[in-house]
Amino acid sequence: MSKMVPRGVRNVLAGISWPVYILLYTPLALVAFYSLAPAPNTTGHSVYAYGVLFHDSTVFVALQRSLVLALGSATVSTILGTLLGYGLCRFRVANARGLAANLPSLIIYTPIIMPSLVFGISELIFFNFIHSETGILSAGLMTMVIAHITFQVPYVALTVFARLAGLDPNLFEASHDLYANGIKSFFYLTVPVVQPAIIGGFLLGITLSIDDFTISFFTAGPGSVTLPIYIYSAVARKGISPEINALGTLMITTVMVLAIAHFFITRSRDRRASLLPT
Amino acid sequence: MRVLSSPLKFITAAAVVAAVGFGAPRSAQADVPTLNLFIWSSYITESIIDGFELQCGCKVVETDYQSNAEMAAKLKAGGDSQYDVVVPSSYYVPELADEGLLQPLDHSQIPNLKNLFPKFQNPDYDLNDKYSVPYQWGTTGIVYDPAKIKNPPESWSILYDPKVNPNYPFVIPKGEGRDQIASACAYLGYGFNCSEQSQWIAAAKLIVETKKRANFAGFVDETPARDQMKSGLIAVSTAYNGDIASCYADGSCKNLKFFLPKEGTEIWVDTMAIPAHAPHPDLALQFINFILNAHVGADLSNFNQYASPNQASQQYLTGILNTELITPTDDDNKRLQFLKPLQGAQYKLFNQIWTSVLQ
Amino acid sequence: MARTAAQGEARARNFRLWLTAGPGLFWIVLFLLIPSLVLLGIGFFTSNDYGSPVLPLTLTPFSQVAGNSLLGWDDGNIVIILRSLEQAGIATVVSALLSYPIVFFIMTREASLRPLLLLLIILPSWTNQVVRTYAWLELLGPNAPLTAVAHALGIVPPDLGIAPGAFAVTTGLAYNYLPYMIVPLYASAERLDWTLVEAGRDLYASGARLFWHTVFPQTLPGLLSGVIFVAIPAFGDYVVPQLLGGDKALMIGSLIANQFTETPDWPYGAALTIIMLVFTGAGLVGFRILTRKLGGAGEATI
Repeated sequence: MSKMVPRGVRNVLAGISWPVYILLYTPLALVAFYSLAPAPNTTGHSVYAYGVLFHDSTVFVALQRSLVLALGSATVSTILGTLLGYGLCRFRVANARGLAANLPSLIIYTPIIMPSLVFGISELIFFNFIHSETGILSAGLMTMVIAHITFQVPYVALTVFARLAGLDPNLFEASHDLYANGIKSFFYLTVPVVQPAIIGGFLLGITLSIDDFTISFFTAGPGSVTLPIYIYSAVARKGISPEINALGTLMITTVMVLAIAHFFITRSRDRRASLLPT
Repeated sequence: MRVLSSPLKFITAAAVVAAVGFGAPRSAQADVPTLNLFIWSSYITESIIDGFELQCGCKVVETDYQSNAEMAAKLKAGGDSQYDVVVPSSYYVPELADEGLLQPLDHSQIPNLKNLFPKFQNPDYDLNDKYSVPYQWGTTGIVYDPAKIKNPPESWSILYDPKVNPNYPFVIPKGEGRDQIASACAYLGYGFNCSEQSQWIAAAKLIVETKKRANFAGFVDETPARDQMKSGLIAVSTAYNGDIASCYADGSCKNLKFFLPKEGTEIWVDTMAIPAHAPHPDLALQFINFILNAHVGADLSNFNQYASPNQASQQYLTGILNTELITPTDDDNKRLQFLKPLQGAQYKLFNQIWTSVLQ
Repeated sequence: MARTAAQGEARARNFRLWLTAGPGLFWIVLFLLIPSLVLLGIGFFTSNDYGSPVLPLTLTPFSQVAGNSLLGWDDGNIVIILRSLEQAGIATVVSALLSYPIVFFIMTREASLRPLLLLLIILPSWTNQVVRTYAWLELLGPNAPLTAVAHALGIVPPDLGIAPGAFAVTTGLAYNYLPYMIVPLYASAERLDWTLVEAGRDLYASGARLFWHTVFPQTLPGLLSGVIFVAIPAFGDYVVPQLLGGDKALMIGSLIANQFTETPDWPYGAALTIIMLVFTGAGLVGFRILTRKLGGAGEATI
């Protein structure tokens, strides 16, 4: 299908895209450069900051907590968001007017519109109330996961909706005849079709979660310091230290190396597989 | 389409392995009492925490915040039942106390209070240390790049007089506006602790005029501003003495100079206080008393590079802590003033004036 | 008979709607709408001296939103809202214009490379926003190469940097939110029906018209989701304006944040939020009506 795009256009696309990729990574290159700051009272580049970082257990506990929070919340929000986007696209009466018909849309938008401080403080008051009345949900990782799911759901739902909208409705009708069962049709037809949107939504969820400070700060309990909370607090008191730059550099290079390694592994495997007689 | 999922699975799996590999988050066991400490990150050393845990047979759980204002917002919204010790700056103590967010301290449980310098036993912002006990103290002055601004007077004019610095970028802290209005008042000759509405408005107008100058590089708080100074983005800023001491100590800002303006400037204290609904107030008192120990106080200052309010600790301080930068001379001491607490209607008026400056 | 069948059909459809959309909607209502109603209710309380809500009920906070304060009326808030709209608008347009070529660039690469290229777009956002934005401050600072160009052209006075300033804020916003435009656009463009493009090739002479009539309508749902993901958060952002704008020009996000932190006045902050929610909600409804006209029969956005 990509052959539909003429060579000239493809060159233009590449000519615009590669500079944008470079631009995306320019600030990170600077971060990496600053992570190589000299050790105290010396000159010249050094990996001193990396040594300090590896001896700082609080950073790794915070990083681990952020990973658990991001993966946990993004998984739940991907399930809720996918169902939400699918349901609104398939089962809602099209082009209905009036408040009742538009209400689900407005509800979905609220987590995106709500200022993060208002979001965070509201959740804190709410969880406090629930905890004092029932004894469940004391402030901690659980309350943070709940809050993070809440702000991720609309991103997944809208991404899934964007993929389904405009898809030929007859496709669903046909599959309905084929599988006769709504659940089967959902898993055999819908999920494969929307898979890129589900994955995109999941990645957006991770991105939102791993970079959130304000909502995490207010829903956190004693000790539940995530990486952004640690970094914001350290920056306020000590400035952006070489260790923080080293941490950012390490995170990005690790993920990048994993992703690129995986690309080469699967490609060589696919090539080998295609050489085998079938 | 399937191809999209496989790298994702791989990364997810790797992240899960990494997360598990670091070991599960340490969770406090139910039978060990826990002290919940709410503080700036890297503002206390691991060794002091370990020492206290050993002494009290309890566990210390540290949580970080970014600013006094955010800490106050969290306490207001019900967070005051989560933490045992918080570390507000001196000018925040009256507000928190008036709002009923702090509990009075039982001085009989803090025998080490006597270790404090007399001036820290009865400060303006909290008479007789009723709600708070000093943790560290410092001064706010001016840091500048002498290569760009040659021989400036030791005065606030370096910020407010366009003739002193016509070209190079400079910043003013954002914060709650107290230091800013006070410094503009001092420059205008009303004194650092001006309190008349007309003086505040004149000071606010001066800052609004300053905002319009082409080389004004924004409202940036002291510590981030020091980073911008180090990388040459700006040439003048207000700064905390401890921030400058620490970058002198590690050699990353030796080209910069620091002074306390002659019209007057702030001496401030970060304090320890106990929230009104703290779950473990007894442990909190024990902790405060522990910090006031002569050796612990010295360890704390040697780590933070801020001055210790603890008279008994002074003999154990090392390095840069003994210099004029951290321990001001008598002459400098005449320039230093605590910010007078703003209470009631004055506070509200002040906030509205500062809000209009920021707009 | 026919009527009951139709009714049964409608009921089954409604049941499925609630079964799929219900849990997500319920989650948002329970964990955001209900909690925020409590806080937003504060907008009708009187503010005490420390900015905390106390009785009696009053509309003073809304009068403050309109620009009235102890010091008289000023147009500050209107300027702030217009400025935020402008910044968010430019950032959205810039990221949309960049997203199309990037999405089609990724789609025209070999299949195994595409997920990697998409991941590389998102990856920078996994570092801390403060760290990233601070790096931009340096890249646009007085000694940066780009600034030297600006100095030579006389756009920026010597000794000063491009940052802080309005241009730096726009750059920072577009940089920050670009992935949120690209992901939904890619999700909707990836299933592009190329037979329509092929058929259109005979009809439309120029490439631009071919794009406009065959590709654009198919990717519209993705673009619209992206616009929402970029425009609304950029409108309320306060980290980028603070770091790259030096807060010289306040944006609505900072104004609201200040009311809950540095210059506390919770009722005023709540009132500002209510007004912002109402206007953004109205804007979104208008946006939906507009897209229905653009998108024809099917709904292009939630």
